[in-house]
Amino acid sequence: MTIRSSSQVSRWKLPRRFPVPKRFGVSKDSRIEQGRHWPAPTGAKRIKTFQIYRYDPESGRNPRLDTYEVDLDDCGPMVLDALIWIKSKVDSTLTFRRSCREGVCGSCAMTIDGTNWLACTRFVSQTAGTASIYPLANFPVIKDLVPDQAHALAQYALIEPWLKTSEPPPQQERLQSVADRKRLDGYYECILCFCCTSGCPSHWWNGERFLGPAVLLQAWRWLTDSRDDAKGERLDALEDPFRLYRCHTILNCTRTCPKGLNPGKAIAEIKRMMLERTL
Amino acid sequence: MRPRSPNIQNYRPQLTSVLSIANRFTAVISTVAIVAFVAWLVAAAVGPQSYDSMHAAAASPVGRALLVVATFAFFLHLCGSVRHLFWDAVAGFELRTIYASGWAALAASVALTAGAWLIGFWVRS
Repeated sequence: MTIRSSSQVSRWKLPRRFPVPKRFGVSKDSRIEQGRHWPAPTGAKRIKTFQIYRYDPESGRNPRLDTYEVDLDDCGPMVLDALIWIKSKVDSTLTFRRSCREGVCGSCAMTIDGTNWLACTRFVSQTAGTASIYPLANFPVIKDLVPDQAHALAQYALIEPWLKTSEPPPQQERLQSVADRKRLDGYYECILCFCCTSGCPSHWWNGERFLGPAVLLQAWRWLTDSRDDAKGERLDALEDPFRLYRCHTILNCTRTCPKGLNPGKAIAEIKRMMLERTL
Repeated sequence: MRPRSPNIQNYRPQLTSVLSIANRFTAVISTVAIVAFVAWLVAAAVGPQSYDSMHAAAASPVGRALLVVATFAFFLHLCGSVRHLFWDAVAGFELRTIYASGWAALAASVALTAGAWLIGFWVRS
């Protein structure tokens, strides 16, 4: 089926996963075991089932998949509401990050039904019959649905995401023409939830050295800023077989961005700028 | 060591990722097919006997099925590469265009494969 915006959930139920062995490339301590079942409270009429990834670092055991039954008549409409409902009514040990509950902070990014999105802006009604919830794909897990973003943020720091200029500090704001300001649209809105980086197969296989879509979108945000004059220096830092060029234009990033941004296009812009400076 | 959240074991196949990996597989199949094509030319150059056995292999049901797979792989890779050509010029990155061009590439490669074989049979008869 065709997709018009990243918020659209595919109507196709199949295929749910790639035909690879369940343990393909999975280290021994990342293997997921069968967890326990948490039934809905008695008297619940509209019951929805969630399969949720659980990992407790203090237990010394492998991650497991717990099944929760949620009473939809007692719970808000979003996936995040369901998680909060479980935490306050069923199992207080369920751990996840959340803050703004309106798609601005990027804390509750997770893999819902096999694609990345913010739990606060995904309706429960949009999820599969038995909804599956995992921490952001390919991220190390601190606990339950809380991913370790240290590596992703270190990669972000590598592109030096701040204004660099050789001009002396001005007395007022650094002015920009309307047209120059417009070049930042579609890039400055990024909330660094890392849904795109987590959904990028190239970052799965080469994440140690490939910067990934979120960081490269930020790199383009500074490369295209008319007030920044460190273009050459920034491009030098990116000109590397891995950092930039491991992007093979798969475009899972653009498909999954919960803010409707286009990391794939930003990376193509960097590649073009890289080419143009040699001409 | 912290466990790692599953990636390919859990992430849903989408047109974007499926066509991307298909572009790699079709490149491999096309490369193997080119080697087979050269072997066919060499057989023809060596003499009628070797050409006959090569031809018999290609004309067998398995041989024909492999030839259909190879032509489809060639055309899918061709159409996928045309998409990449546009992307390299920073064109066609809107999500609706990504999906439209993806399905178009798939449909075009099916049509081109069918067309190539129809022309082949028409030339022979």
